[in-house]
Amino acid sequence: MSPNGQVHGGKVVPADNVYTALLALAFFVVLAAAIFVAYKCQLQYGTIFEIPVAN
Amino acid sequence: MSKLTKILIVLLAVFSIVLSAIVVVYVANSDNYRQKSGALQTQYNAAVEKEKEAKRELEDRKKKYQQQEDALNNKMTSLQAEYTQIETKLKEAEREKAVLLQKVDSWTSITKDFYTTNDKQGQLLENTLEELNKAKAEKIKTTKELNETTNTLIEKMAIIETLESEKRRLIEAKAELQIQVDKYLQPIGRTVEAPVPVTPERTRVLPVMPRTKDIGLKGLVKQVDLKNSLARISLGSADGVKDGMKFHVTRGDEFICDISIIDVDAEESVGLLELVQQPPRANDSVSTNF
Repeated sequence: MSPNGQVHGGKVVPADNVYTALLALAFFVVLAAAIFVAYKCQLQYGTIFEIPVAN
Repeated sequence: MSKLTKILIVLLAVFSIVLSAIVVVYVANSDNYRQKSGALQTQYNAAVEKEKEAKRELEDRKKKYQQQEDALNNKMTSLQAEYTQIETKLKEAEREKAVLLQKVDSWTSITKDFYTTNDKQGQLLENTLEELNKAKAEKIKTTKELNETTNTLIEKMAIIETLESEKRRLIEAKAELQIQVDKYLQPIGRTVEAPVPVTPERTRVLPVMPRTKDIGLKGLVKQVDLKNSLARISLGSADGVKDGMKFHVTRGDEFICDISIIDVDAEESVGLLELVQQPPRANDSVSTNF
């Protein structure tokens, strides 16, 4: 499961990409959560990064 | 890739997913504070407006209340003045009422006294009228007696005048006889003694027994009440009738009964029937003497 791959019988075996996929999944999950939070901020407060001011 | 790197990758991925899930769930369930703030702001503005409206209304009501209070104070002042005036009038009316009640009491007592005096005057008037009737009857009777006495006096005066003329004539005759007797006796020295009269001279007045005479009243029976043995006759006090006098009732030559007088009026009298021989009738004769 090394990313560098293993050599079995003179043949290079590609490294297991499970961890990469796991990292990609975690990245997309975090990205989706950030997009959802940004959407909710925009929807509720009208801004994403600023602190809303009372009227 | 070392095992530590693999473990870190797995932990990082797991925590990332878990934290992302937590954040998403939290954000999805979080309240919309902006909307709430807007609603609260709107409510606040509405409340402020309501407060202003309420203050304005309070001012208006204060003004109205003040005006009403002023009006009520004015009315109360006028009513107080009116009350004072009415109270004064009431006191005056009560005073007048007391005076009037006093007058009523005095008038009542005066009226009672007047009634009493009137009754007494009426009684006195009746007594006076009765006395007047009696006096009239007495006057008529006295007038009758006066007329009779006057007639008797005139007769007596005529007799006295006749006797005096007779006496003067006798004196003249006596003087003539004295002259003639003196003419015959004086030559022989004699004279006539003083004559002794046959009739004795009265030196004192002797009491004379009163002579009686018949009353001689005559009248008629006017009404008869046999049930009560009463009769009314046509003679009264004006004719000389008095209580207790007794009248004889006759019809022609027949004796009917006696009437004993018990009540005398001026022109008529009422009496009890006594010694009734026959029932008397109206127009029977009544007289004090047979």
